[in-house]
Amino acid sequence: MEAGNERELVERCRRGDEGAFQELVDRYKDLVFALIARTVQDRSRAEDLAQDVFLRVHRGLPYFRGEARLSTWIYRIVANVCVHDQGRPAPALSLDDERMRTRTPSASDRQFGDLELRDRLEKAIARLPSNYRLVVAAHYLEGVQYEDLAEALALPLGTVKTQLHRAKQQLRRMLETDLK
Amino acid sequence: MFCDEALDAVEAIAAGDLTPDGRVAEHLTTCPNCAAALVSARALERMLRVRSIPKPPAQFTTRTLARVRRARWRSEQFLDVGFNVAIAAVVLIVIAGIWMLLNRSGLVAVSNDVVDLFGSSLVAFARRVGPSLPLYAAATALLATALGIWWWAERDATY
Repeated sequence: MEAGNERELVERCRRGDEGAFQELVDRYKDLVFALIARTVQDRSRAEDLAQDVFLRVHRGLPYFRGEARLSTWIYRIVANVCVHDQGRPAPALSLDDERMRTRTPSASDRQFGDLELRDRLEKAIARLPSNYRLVVAAHYLEGVQYEDLAEALALPLGTVKTQLHRAKQQLRRMLETDLK
Repeated sequence: MFCDEALDAVEAIAAGDLTPDGRVAEHLTTCPNCAAALVSARALERMLRVRSIPKPPAQFTTRTLARVRRARWRSEQFLDVGFNVAIAAVVLIVIAGIWMLLNRSGLVAVSNDVVDLFGSSLVAFARRVGPSLPLYAAATALLATALGIWWWAERDATY
């Protein structure tokens, strides 16, 4: 999104234009929902948290100074919301948990095959610490660069890369036998 | 020792963030454990890249906007109540202050006479206005209804 358009959209939202805020939600909902759903792995909880993000965006818009890009500011809010949600007890899933095998396979799943391995990957990701889950979720979404993540998480670029590599190292160890 | 170094680097190599230098590249071709780790890391990288992207539900925007409206309405109500309470407190303080001032200056005794005079005038006024009271009540109800409709329309027009 161009900086000029972004500023104009923010200004319209600040003036109380509901259409502008709806446009903002429509533009960012896919990204916000995908990030959160990949981090918390529970669709209804993810929807609640994604709505929380937009509620915070709405409240915070009058104070948004435009020093960072709107998307970066929104990532930061997503990160905060996910960190606050960390206090909730996570479901303790083993990689062989039968409850997790009931997901209906999508066409792309069938195309790439090996449903069970995908299932185990999701469960392995759920067992990562929340900061690792967030970087893994965000990095593999189209358009999210290391730099965006570093700015959103207020971490040096090198730390983000290190966290991502460590997260993948832990995943590889958890899935060692499956990946061979 | 060198295996540890190579194993630390396999994720970065698999992601394309790091190109192995001669020493590491050679080790990865000769050490079966590290070579297997690199294969696993590449497989994991591929899986993460094709991981499905969860989509928000169809009514997500509508539900989010409704929640924003509710939150905004609640905060406005809170502000309104706070403002009204503050105004009432200020009025009470001013009345109490005036009363204390009058009491100290001995004007209360004088004001009692004024109250008596005002009371008798009020009774006379009530006798004159009494017959037209239903008309005034209807006009007030009409005004209150109009204000209520205006408030309702204004609340719904903004979010």
